[in-house]
This record gives sequence, structure tokens and C-alpha cells, in this order.
Amino acid sequence: MSSIVGSPVPRVDGRAKVTGAATYAADAEVRGALHGLLVLSTVASGRITRIDTREAERSAGVVAVFTHRNMPRLARPEYIGFLKGFIPVQDPDIHHSGQPVAYVVAETLEEAQHAATLVGVSYDARPPRAVVADAMDEAYVPPPGLSGPNETTRGDVAAGLAQADVLVDVTYTTPMHHHNSIEPSTTTADWDGERVTVYESAQGGHATRICISEALGVPPGNVRVLSPFLGGGFGAKGPVWPHTLLTAAVARELRRPVKLVLARAQTYTSHGLRAEAHQRLRIGARHDGTLTAIDHVSTSQVTRTEEGVFSQSQSSRILYACPHVHVAQRAVRLDLPAPSFMRPPESVGAFGLESALDELSYALGMDPIELRLRNHTAVNPETGEPFGSKHLLECYRRGAAAFRWTERDPRPRSMRDGDTLIGWGMATAAHTAGGRPGAGARVVLSPAGKAVVQVGTHDIGTGTYTVMSQIAAQTLGLELDDVDFQLGDSDYPFAFMSVASATVPGVGAAVNRACTTARRSVIDLAVTDPRSPLHGIPAEQITAEAGFLRATGDSRRRERVRTVLARHGEPVEATTEPVPIPPGYSVGAEFAEVRVDPRVGRVRVTRMLGAYDAGRVLNRRTLRSQALGGAVCALGFALTEHTVVDPHRARIVNPNLSGYLLPVNADIPHVQALFIDEPDPTSEALGARGFGETPGTGMTAAIGNAIYHATGRRFRDLPITQDKLIRGANTL
Amino acid sequence: MSDMSKDGHSRRSVLKAGGVTTAALAVPGGVAAAAAPPEGTAPASTAEVTLTVNGRPHALTIECRVTLLDALRERLGLTGTKKGCDRGECGACTLLIEGERVKSCMTLAVMEDGREITTVEGLARGDELHPVQEAFIRRDAFQCGFCTPGQIMSAVACINEGHTRSCEEIREWMSGNLCRCGCYPNIVDAVRDAGNGAGR
Ligand code: FES
Ligand code: FES
Repeated sequence: MSSIVGSPVPRVDGRAKVTGAATYAADAEVRGALHGLLVLSTVASGRITRIDTREAERSAGVVAVFTHRNMPRLARPEYIGFLKGFIPVQDPDIHHSGQPVAYVVAETLEEAQHAATLVGVSYDARPPRAVVADAMDEAYVPPPGLSGPNETTRGDVAAGLAQADVLVDVTYTTPMHHHNSIEPSTTTADWDGERVTVYESAQGGHATRICISEALGVPPGNVRVLSPFLGGGFGAKGPVWPHTLLTAAVARELRRPVKLVLARAQTYTSHGLRAEAHQRLRIGARHDGTLTAIDHVSTSQVTRTEEGVFSQSQSSRILYACPHVHVAQRAVRLDLPAPSFMRPPESVGAFGLESALDELSYALGMDPIELRLRNHTAVNPETGEPFGSKHLLECYRRGAAAFRWTERDPRPRSMRDGDTLIGWGMATAAHTAGGRPGAGARVVLSPAGKAVVQVGTHDIGTGTYTVMSQIAAQTLGLELDDVDFQLGDSDYPFAFMSVASATVPGVGAAVNRACTTARRSVIDLAVTDPRSPLHGIPAEQITAEAGFLRATGDSRRRERVRTVLARHGEPVEATTEPVPIPPGYSVGAEFAEVRVDPRVGRVRVTRMLGAYDAGRVLNRRTLRSQALGGAVCALGFALTEHTVVDPHRARIVNPNLSGYLLPVNADIPHVQALFIDEPDPTSEALGARGFGETPGTGMTAAIGNAIYHATGRRFRDLPITQDKLIRGANTL
Repeated sequence: MSDMSKDGHSRRSVLKAGGVTTAALAVPGGVAAAAAPPEGTAPASTAEVTLTVNGRPHALTIECRVTLLDALRERLGLTGTKKGCDRGECGACTLLIEGERVKSCMTLAVMEDGREITTVEGLARGDELHPVQEAFIRRDAFQCGFCTPGQIMSAVACINEGHTRSCEEIREWMSGNLCRCGCYPNIVDAVRDAGNGAGR
């Protein structure tokens, strides 16, 4: 049986993407659209005392300048997809630098850009607080957030630590990060009477619809959000941010379409960020490596208007068997923009845990894989329930073999190539995948034998178009070319935000259900119709594959799906309502090789390899790309990325791509990805689990661990930049 | 990769000059300047230019301050070329001018009057994709696809420049184009394939 699911078909949207035909949100042609531009506050805390828009209003091409005095009043959306504690440009209060204070609208982009420079703002500014370390005394545990409680305890950690033969007690710091998708966030709002069409760079089209509806007081059905292509999001475009609501509001006010594209620098304060984090880990173990306790206390920034903590410590809670675990995610309030989740949210905690375990392995004199094998758990240690499936042991085995781990000399500084120090490090990768609201789906089979399948979800680059086409084709028994999978329209059935590795399990399950129902309808049409060669055969004995219905056991009795539908003469439809996605856990083993030039402290990552359990592989080609992307992201986390804040003024000083260093092509070596490819029996998405977040979780620690192995020095403050390596270079 | 146009002006130097006086600006096609703007206001002069994009001439009256990127996207409706940063850092806006790769956010439309501009929309011949486009699909050298037009245009030039003798060389010469989705290894494979004429 030739299976469409599991076949590495090229992306179905590939042609559109390589020819420039794919229409991202800012590419929509909206006739007569005006150009909006935000003016951002230059202070971090205080009040606007005076705002002078006269010169801007007189400037050529300017249609309107909105400030808190004349911006339409908006209600703060209650929906969980709105993270910000306030809507700006509603009152004179300033909560962070880079907060919108005015919204300029002009006929052309250049006119708007120029006029924005003419808005004069005076502030009564208070000295802001911008440094996590300065506020540690005030750290507190915030109330439960989107991903549950911020403090959990299992067993008795003090007792567990007392039972330990070996203890590590270490603190790691990781900086603020920004998502920096190459497509900046953008909104174009086009009203037609009381209805609005919004072209939005959205990871949450339905979330955008709900928030606009709540903020502007229009029925959700009057709001249509289109996002057929998304230029990356990495979490930034999951929640809905104020600039989207403001754009919808000014377009309604002006009765003309308005297009807003955030400038790169504006993206640093207009949507979320990954919070700076300080993590203290105390881990106890017996001489044989058995963990006795994990105490993982992290402290990261929130704001005075929001207190969501998004860097989750799930790994410490559920990745290993350990009887005594305490996890606390503390927060301190700073005068900075609101944090949110960033791909992958669990990577911060995972970096801490997997680095500390590496330190423990040296303290024990034990191979780091062996240490992890000793503490493997087949069940969720918090609930005692088995995971849907968890082939982590196989990941270690296959990953280690492919990396040739046994050839590693465990002693630090022992592997060299001339003067160059070589280090090999590893870590476990793990991320929750699911446990979110799911998706609905609609399928329509036409008399011509073609299927249109619609879900209001997104393809954020992960391959949703492609893998959902595969699931639909396989389930309906059609060829891939006969399926048109459509997404990115909030008029399609509900889907939760495309975040948290929840799209494949949620949307995949919905597509499977709807298509299963539709297939059954087609089979029923055939077996009840005397004109069909399948007439009279029980429906359960009919299979659908590659465009044909066949009687099991008698393959000569068959009929084309198209023939059945043509005879029926009307479309066959099926829909499913959203069902919550069960929790999933996708894991892997990740390995990195670094070469360090001890004279100048330069680190090159020369090999990265991951072996993963993502459940069933729907499409190896797109899945592998997700693994590569995670590894590249993790390399940025480990070595280059750092949002720098002026500690006195609470302003981001590198809001660009020449100061905030994303990895470039020359930084990235050969990356290998292996997949176990065993279906998760609990997954309704034909055995596939969410996976996108997993590969970014372990590689950061694997690189840091490799640098330790190469140099014998442990860098606990990220990113591990050249200046840190050459500090004390005589020891390098 | 150069963000200087052929006559040696970068957008930065022109914008700087424009802040002082617009009269010093030698614009091909001629400046249709209105009355001399008062000191300190933005240059509002417009120019007649012909942008030859993918073999088709487009006559435009355009403000001198408009970048080539914004002229293509906002005036000509050619949205295949993307804006990621508008300051020469990301490469999403890369296109070819007279066969050379240029970041189109870093040059003004008036500076490219009469030159041959090739964008991602101009690579395929009808239904037949350019070998680089084919290689990008085959190698899955993109995920979100937003950097892809720039990557592809850079790749075409990289191959023409002869910078494909090794993977290391490709990596180096494709490093002016950021990809946040992290498709770099696949981009290298695609450029190598297309450079070798593989898979055709
Ligand atoms: S948009 Fe031109 S380099 Fe980024
Ligand atoms: S494919 Fe998304 S940025 Fe390159």
C-alpha cells in the first residue's frame, strides 16, 4: 500500500513561495490603503505632559495623527490571546520605552515616515527599573498562567538533597531575546460598513478576530482575518498586540483602509520578548547517578502591567524520574515591554537542567548519556500515567551511534586538532506538544471528485499546507493532487493559535475526523446504490485509497471515488467541532561538536545531530527542516543572541539585525536529523505528535556542554561570546 | 554584497545629501523639482524614471526619497521582493540590477533609472521554474518562505559569480541573507545543486 502520509512530498505551497506569488499579509493589494506609522515613546516610565501634532498634521500627505486625545476608545480584550495589560494611545501613561504614543496616517509610506518625525512629545519621566539582578529581593511567584502553576512540588526536596552523595548547586543566566521573524508584524484593516477584513501576520487568525471584536465592540462575525502565508512568527505573532487593534480602529475612524507595517526596530517593543532569566539549580544524586532531588528556581522579568511567565520548566518537572522535585518560576517587575512565549518556551529551563546534569556527570565521573539512562522514566512522574509513547532510549542509542559518541575521550581538553580544542556535548531535547484547545475542520467533496478542506489555522513555515493535504488525501482515499487544503481565513472552522507544537495534533485530528466522516458518506453512497459495483457490500468492508473504493478481499470489485460523487451529482460535506488536544511530549537526544581556537576564543560549531521521537513522521522533508531550524535557533541562543537594555533608561539599544546577531549561513555546519518514526497510539493525527518546539530545547545546552568539554571552562552566562572566552585566556 | 549602486551612491549618502539640498542630486531622468523647498523641510522633489523590471519598462513619476524596494512593492504591485529590515541587514529585499545582487532597500528608485532589474517574479519562464527555484523546492530550502525571494536572487548571483566551488564558499557568500527559520543547510544544498546543474 502506497501511503501518502509518511511520504516526503515537496511542499504543496513551494511553487508559490519560490516565485514570489505567495501573498503575505503586507502583500495584499488593498485599493486606496493609507499608510500608518507608530510613534513610540522615548521614556520607559511616566506620563506624557504635552504632545504637539500640528507640524505633523501640516506635513504633505498626512491624513490624520492620532494621540491619546483623539484615538477611538478601545476595550482591553479579555481573551487569553491578548497578553498586554493595557492598550496604549488611550491615556497619557507610559509603561515602557517603545510604547506607541501616536499613530500617523498618510497617503504614502514616505509621507507617514516623515510626519512621524514631526510629532513632538514631552514627558514627565520617572527613573525606570530595567535590571533583573537589581530586583531579586522582590522576586515573587506569580499566579498560575497559560501553562499552569508557577510553583510545583513533588516529594520533599530537602530530604532528597540530604540523601544525595553528590550535589551540584549552580546558577545560569540567559539574556532577553527577540523572535525576529524576517517578516515584521503587519496589519491592513479594510472596513466595509460594519464589517472589516484584516490582512494580518497572524499565528492566531481566530484570536485576532476575537480580540478585534472585543476591543472595537463589533460582533466576531463582522471581523474576517486573512493570513494565508506567514513570514515566520516563533511565538511573536501568536498573541494579539495593540498595533493590530489600533490599526483596525483608525481605519474605521477614517473610513479608509489603513496598512501598518512595523519597522524592524518597532518590533522589539510592539510584541513580546523572551524574558531574561536567572536559574538556580540544586541537583542531588547518589554515586550510581540516581537523582535524589531537583530544586529549580528561576527568576525572570515581568512588568508592572503584566505578570505572565512564559519560560517554562517542564523538563525539571517531568523529563526524569526523580522522587523529590521543586520548581518555582519567580518574577520581578521591570519597566520593560511585556514578555511572551518564544520558540521554544521550554528551552530556557531545559538549558538550565541539561547544563546542570552535564556538570553532575563530571562530578560523578559518569558519561552524560549514562546519567540520563539511569534516570529515564516511561511514565509522567507527576501523574504516574504513561506518555502516549516515548522512545527516548532509542533516541539516545541511535543518536550516539550516528555521532560516534563512544569515540569521545571524556576528559575536558583532551581532544585536539593541532592547537584547536575540540569538544563534544549532548543534552536531552523535550517539549510538551498539545494540551491546548483544538481545531475544527470542514471538508467538501465535489461531484468532480475534488476535495476542499478548510481549517482556520496557519502555515507558519512548518508545513501545515503540506502535511494536512497528506492527511486529508490519505483519509479520503484520494490522490494528493485532488485535495486543496485551505487555511489562513477566520471564516474557516476555528483553530487555536499555531503555537506550542499544537498544530499537528489539533488540526491533524480535526482533518482526520472530518475526512473520515466524508469518506464514510461516499462509501455509503456506493454500497446503497444498485448502479455501483460495490452495491450491497457492508460499508465496513470497503477501503478507500488512491482514488478508488475497493471491497476488501475482492479487489476486482471497485469503483472510482470520482464516479460515485459524479453519480451523486451534489457535494458531500462533513464538519467537525474542535476537541481539546490531549497533552503530548516529544523528545530526542541532541549532540554538538565545537572547535575552539584557544588563542582568540573563537567557537565554531562543526556538527549538530539530533535523534527525535516525534511520533509518526508525516513528512520527513518538512519535519527535518523543523529539526534544522530548531538547531539553528539554539545555536543563536548559545552563542550570539542578546537583546541589550540600557540599565539607566530601560531602552533596548540593539533593536536591529546588525546589533542583535542571528546566526548566518556561515555559522551553521552540517546538521543531521534522525527520526524514530513510531506512531503515538494516543494521537488522532494518524499517530503524529507536535514537534516544532522540541529540537530547539536541548541543543543550547549541548553546545555549552561541548564548549566545556573542549576548554574545561563552564560558561554559565549566555550567550557564550568570544569576549567571555578570552577573558582569562591564559587558562583557555 | 554591494548596497552601492553603479554610480557609487548608497541610499545613505543620498539621503544625507538630500537633507541639505536637493539641487546637488544628480538624478538620471531629470528632477521635476517644485519650487526650492524651504531650508530644513523634507525633499519633496519628484522625478520621472523608467524602471525596467523583468524586461518590462514602467514609467513612473516618483519622489526621489522612495527606495527601489518601496517603488516595486507599493507603486508597481511587485510584492515578491520582501522587506525585512529596510536597512540592509537581512537580505530579504535582494534582487538583481544588471545581473548583480543588490539590496533594494538600500538604493533609491531614481538611481536605477533605465537599468535592468530582475526580481523573483522574473526568474521562471512561464511554467518552467528557474533551476535555482526548482532546487529550493527539492531541497526544502525554505520554511516560512519570507527570506526566500532574497535567498533565491542571491543564489542566482552567487552561482554566476562562481562562488559555489565548495559548501564553505557557498555558506560564506550566502551569508548576507538571513533565514530565521534556519534553513541554511538546505539552502547550501540547493545552491550547490543548481550550481552543478544537478537534478535538471
Ligand atoms: S529589507 Fe533590505 S536588507 Fe533587509
Ligand atoms: S524560510 Fe523563513 S526566514 Fe527563511
